[in-house]
Amino acid sequence: MGAMFRSEEMVLAQLFIQPEAAYPSMSELGELGTVQFRDLNEDVNSFQRKFVNEVRRCDEMERKLRYIEAEVKKDSVPIPDVQELPKAPNPREIIDLEAHLEKTEGEIKELSESAVNMKSNYLELTELRQVLEKTQTFFVEHEETNGMDSVHRALIPEDTHNVSIRGRLGFVAGVVNRERVPAFERMLWRISRGNVFLRQAEIDKPLEDPATGNEMHKTVFVAFFQGEQLKSRIKKVCIGFHASLYPCPSSISERDEMLKGVKSRLEDLNLVLNQTEDHRQRVLISVARELQNWSVMVRKMKAIYHTMNFFNMDVTKKCLIGECWVPVKDISVVQKALTDGSNSCGSSIPSFLNVISTTENPPTFNRTNKFTRGFQNLIDSYGVASYRECNPALYTIITFPFLFAIMFGDLGHGLVLLIFGAYMCGFEKKLSAKKTDNEIWNIFFAGRYIILLMGIFSIYTGFFYNDVFSKSMNIFGSTWTEDIKSYNWTTVEMNEAMELNPTTDASAIPYPVGLDPVWQLAKNKIIFLNSYKMKLSIIFGVLHMIFGVCMSVINFVHFKKISSIFLEFLPQILFLICLFAWMVVMMFLKWVFYTAQGTDVKFGTSCAPSVLIFFINMMLFKENDAPKGCDVYMFDFQPILQKILVFIALLCIPIMLLGKPIFVMISRKFSKKHCHSNGDINQGMELQPEVVEEPKQLEGHNEHEEEPMGEIFIHQAIHTIEYVLSTVSHTASYLRLWALSLAHAQLSEVLWNMVLKMGLSDPSFVGSIKLYIVFAFWSVLTLGVLVMMEGLSAFLHTLRLHWVEFMSKFYAGLGYPFQPFSFKIILEEDDNEED
Amino acid sequence: MKGCLFNIDGGYLEGLCRGFKCGILKQADYLNLVQCETLEDLKLHLQGTDYGAFLANEPSPLAVSTIDDKLREKLVIEFQHLRNHAVEPLSTFLDFITYSYMIDNIILLITGTLHQRPISELIPKCHPLGSFEQMEAIHVAATPAELYNAVLVDTPLAPFFVDCISEQDLDEMNIEIIRNTLYKAYLEAFFSFCKDIGGTTADCMCEILAFEADRRAIIITINSFGTELSKDDRAKLYPRCGKLNPDGLAALARAEDYDQVKAVAEYYAEYSKLFEGAGNNPGDKTLEDKFFEHEVRLNVNAFLQQFHFGVFYSYLKLKEQECRNIVWISECVAQKHRTKIDNYIPIF
Repeated sequence: MGAMFRSEEMVLAQLFIQPEAAYPSMSELGELGTVQFRDLNEDVNSFQRKFVNEVRRCDEMERKLRYIEAEVKKDSVPIPDVQELPKAPNPREIIDLEAHLEKTEGEIKELSESAVNMKSNYLELTELRQVLEKTQTFFVEHEETNGMDSVHRALIPEDTHNVSIRGRLGFVAGVVNRERVPAFERMLWRISRGNVFLRQAEIDKPLEDPATGNEMHKTVFVAFFQGEQLKSRIKKVCIGFHASLYPCPSSISERDEMLKGVKSRLEDLNLVLNQTEDHRQRVLISVARELQNWSVMVRKMKAIYHTMNFFNMDVTKKCLIGECWVPVKDISVVQKALTDGSNSCGSSIPSFLNVISTTENPPTFNRTNKFTRGFQNLIDSYGVASYRECNPALYTIITFPFLFAIMFGDLGHGLVLLIFGAYMCGFEKKLSAKKTDNEIWNIFFAGRYIILLMGIFSIYTGFFYNDVFSKSMNIFGSTWTEDIKSYNWTTVEMNEAMELNPTTDASAIPYPVGLDPVWQLAKNKIIFLNSYKMKLSIIFGVLHMIFGVCMSVINFVHFKKISSIFLEFLPQILFLICLFAWMVVMMFLKWVFYTAQGTDVKFGTSCAPSVLIFFINMMLFKENDAPKGCDVYMFDFQPILQKILVFIALLCIPIMLLGKPIFVMISRKFSKKHCHSNGDINQGMELQPEVVEEPKQLEGHNEHEEEPMGEIFIHQAIHTIEYVLSTVSHTASYLRLWALSLAHAQLSEVLWNMVLKMGLSDPSFVGSIKLYIVFAFWSVLTLGVLVMMEGLSAFLHTLRLHWVEFMSKFYAGLGYPFQPFSFKIILEEDDNEED
Repeated sequence: MKGCLFNIDGGYLEGLCRGFKCGILKQADYLNLVQCETLEDLKLHLQGTDYGAFLANEPSPLAVSTIDDKLREKLVIEFQHLRNHAVEPLSTFLDFITYSYMIDNIILLITGTLHQRPISELIPKCHPLGSFEQMEAIHVAATPAELYNAVLVDTPLAPFFVDCISEQDLDEMNIEIIRNTLYKAYLEAFFSFCKDIGGTTADCMCEILAFEADRRAIIITINSFGTELSKDDRAKLYPRCGKLNPDGLAALARAEDYDQVKAVAEYYAEYSKLFEGAGNNPGDKTLEDKFFEHEVRLNVNAFLQQFHFGVFYSYLKLKEQECRNIVWISECVAQKHRTKIDNYIPIF
C-alpha cells in the first residue's frame, strides 16, 4: 500500500545501446512495460526517421495480414484466440515471417482467383440454363400466337413454319440485372422506335456475384426484332447495360439438347467447385490458427521500430541513444532487460543505462492493482496528480464508499449492490475475457470493486439506519416504554398515528446498535431523523475537510516548503477548527448535556438550544435569547470561549492573505542582498555559473523565472477568499449527505406503501395473485429507480464531495500521466480500435 | 431565426461538410509532402493526415494512378454520403453539382467512341459522380439527335441539350461545340437555380458561378484562335451569367488575338489581375493556374458564411483541387522531376 501514498519516484535515464542490440532490448522493454521513451526527433518528419523502412515493412505485412483476415472472415472460418501471446520475433524470424506471409497471401490470392474464375464460369452456365428454360415458354407462346394467326397451322409442316418465322424475326436472349430492367426496356424502345418486342422472366433464385459474393437478382429477357442494323444496336445497348447475351438456338430440339449439355457441365463444375472450396477451406483453417499469432508479432515489431525512431544516433554511429523515464524501483529490472537484450544478439559491448539529472517534471506513475485501479481512475479523471504529490486515491478507497453509503443507507439495496459487485468480482476472469462493446457494462465492470465496497458500506449504514427496503428489524427488542416494548402485532395494527414522546416513553437504556425500530412506526420519525442525519452529515463533513487540510502538511513537508506550514496550513486549520469544529463540539455538548428525562429543567427539552442559532450569533457577536427559566449558554465560560475562537479565526485571515507574499518578498530581498554583499567571496562565484549553466529543457516545466510580486499578492488574495468562503459553502455542501439519504429513505418507503402494500394487505386468495403481479412492479422499481438511479445520483454526489470539497484542500493535480512503452497496452488499444 | 430554419434540414450536413473541410491539407502538410523522396514517403505522410489509411491496402509499389483513384474514391464517398442525407432543395443543389461531371462523361465517351475505343476501356475513366444509368449505352447514338432521343432524354441533362440537336453529326469540332453549349445551358440553369434559392446561398454561389462562366468565356475565346469556329458561333457559346455579360462578352466576341482578350479583361478589376501575372515563360504561372488560384480563393470565402449551400460546392471544388495538388506532387516525385514540384496551388 505504500505505493499508493504518492506517485512513484522517477528518473530520467539515457540508454546507450548497440544498434544490433537495440531491437532485442526494445523487445524486452516492451514486454516489461515500465519505461516511457521521449521523442528525441520531434522536429524530424515521420518519413525521414531512421527506421522508417522497417516500419514500412511492417505496414506491408499488416496489409497482407488484413487481406488474409478478410479472406478468412469471408469464408466465416473461426479465428481461435491465442492463449499465450508470442514475443516479438527476432530479425531472422522476421524475414521468415515475411516470406511466409508472402507465400500465404499468394496462395490465397491464387485460390480466390481460380475460385472467381470458376464461379463466373458457373454463373454463366446457370444463366444460360435459366435462359434456355425460361425462353422455352416464350417461344411456345410465340409459336402459339403465330399459329393462331395462321388458319392453316396444322397443314403447314412444323420445320418450314419455324424457318419462316425465324427468317422474319431475329432475337437475342440474355440476362440482365433486375434493377436495370426498366431503363433497359425504355432504352430498347427508344432506339428502335418501338420496334422491339421484349419478353422477360425473373430468375427466382438470387445468383452469387463471383467477385464479391453478394447476391444478385437477375432477369432473363428475349428481345425480338427485325433487321440486322437493329440487331447491332440492340447488342450495343446490351453491352451498355451489362447484360450478358447467350446463344439460344431457335428450334426446340436444339434447345433441349443444349440444355442437357449445360446441365451436365454444370454438375461437373459443381463437383470441381466443391473440391476447390474444400481445399480453400483447409488452407484457410490452417492459416486462421496462426493468424492471431502473426498479427500480434507484427504489431509488436511495428511498435518496437516506432519506439526506435525516437532514438538518436551518436556521432560515431556506434550506438543509439534514447532518453526515457524509469521508475527508480524498476531500474534494476530495466538493466537486466538490457543485458538480456544484448546477450541474445551476442553483442560483446553491453548496453548501459545512465541516470541524468533534470529540472523537468517527471510523469506521475501510480502503481495500481485491479483493486485500486478503479479508485485511482476516479482521482485521475479530475486531474493527474503532480509528481510525488500526496495521492488522495488511497483514502478514497474507504471514504468514497462510506460517504456513498451515508446517502444510500439501506440494508436491502446495499445487499443488491453487494451481490452485483460480488458477481463481477467473483467471475472477473471470465467476464473480462468476454470483450464487449457495451460501454455501460464496461464502466460498471471497471468499477466493480468500488461497487462491491459501496455495497458493503451501504449494508453497514443501512444496519445503523435500521432500514431494509424501508422496514426496520427488531433485533434487540425496542427499548421504548413497556407497552411498546412488547412490540407485537397489536402495536403495529393499533397505532396508526403513534407519536413517540421521549419524555414519557423512552427507557433509560438506549437501543444497543443503530436506530430503535420503533421509530419506523412513529409519526415524528421524520423530525427525529432529520435532526439526526443533518448533524451526522455536518460532523462527517467537517472531519473530512479537516482531514483534507491536514493532508496539505504532508505535501509541504515533502516539497520542503516548511514556511507554508506556518503561513498556510496553520491559519487554515485554525480557521476551520475554531469555527466549524466548534459547531460540531456544540452538537456533542448538546447531546450529552440535554435529556428529556432529567429532573433539571435547565437541561430539559424545553431549554435545549439550537446549535445553528448559537453559531450564527457567535459570528455576529450577538447575545442569545433564552426562554424563561433556562440558561442562555450551555456552560458558564462559553461566551468567552466563543469570543476567543472567533478572534483567532479572524486573526487567521490576514495571515493567510499576507503571510506568504510577505515571506516571499523578504526571502527574495534577503537572497539578493546576500549575493550582493558576498559578491567577492567564493560562494557567490560558485553560485553564479550554476545559474548560467541551467540546461535548456524542451518543456517549460521549471519555475525558475520569478513571478512578479503583484501577481503573488493577487493569487494569494484569490486563494484566501476562496478558502474562507469555501469553508462555509463546503460545510453546507455536505448537507447533501442528509438530503440524499432522506430522499432515498422516503422514496423507498413510498414505494413500499404505495406498491407492495397493495399486494400484501389482501389476505384472500386473490391477494396472492395480486401480490405476484405487484411484487414484479415493486422489484423492478426498486432495482431501476432506487438502486440504479438513486445509486448513480449518490455516486455522483460522492464524487463531487471528493473532487471539490475534499481534494480542493490540498490537491494540485497538475501532473501528466506516465505512458510506458508496453506491448500489452499497445495491443489492447489496437483491439479497441478494431471494435 | 434563419439559422434555426436552415438547421432543420441542412444543419447536420453543413456541420459534416465543415468537419470534412477541416481535413483539407494545410500549407505545412504540403511542405512536408514536397520533401518526399518516394511515393512510399508520400503515403506515410498522408497517413498522418485526415486521409488516414486510405492507401493501407494497396500493395507496393504504388502507382500515381492508384493514388489518384483512391483520392477520388474517398471524395466521392464523402460527397455521396452528403447527397444521400440531403433533402430538398439541397438535394437538387447537390444534383446540380453532379451534372457538370455528367457532361464531361458524355463528352468523354462520345470522343472515345469516335476514336474507336471500346466502351469498357472508357468507362473507368469516367468520373463516378457523373455516372448515370444510360451512360454506358451511349455509343448507340451516331448523331446528336439520336443521342438526345435515345440516351439523354431520360437524364436530367435533357433540357440543356435541346440547343444542340440541330448539329449534323458527331465530329471533333461539333463535340466541342456540344460540350460548350451544354455547359452554357448548365451554368445558366444552375445560376438561376441558386438565385431562386436566394439568401446567402445566392450571394455566395452566384459569385462563384459568375466567375466560372467568365472563365469559360475567356478560355473559349483564347482556344478558338486559329480554328474554324466563326465569331458568331463563338459568341453563342458564352455563358451569359457572368460579370462580363453583356459588354464584356460582346467585346470578347470581337477579339482576334490574346492581347485583345487581355484588353477586355483590363476593364474588370479581378480579371485584369489574373492576366497580369500570367505568362507561358518558365517560372511564370499559366493563366489556367491563375484561374485555379482565384477559384480556390472564392471557394475558401464561401466558408466564411453560415447557413448556405455554397459550402458543399466549395468543399467539393477545394477537395478536387487538393487531389490535383497531391497527384501533381506525386507525379513529380515519381518522375524525379523536382523543379516544378512547387507548382501546386495551396488552399489554406
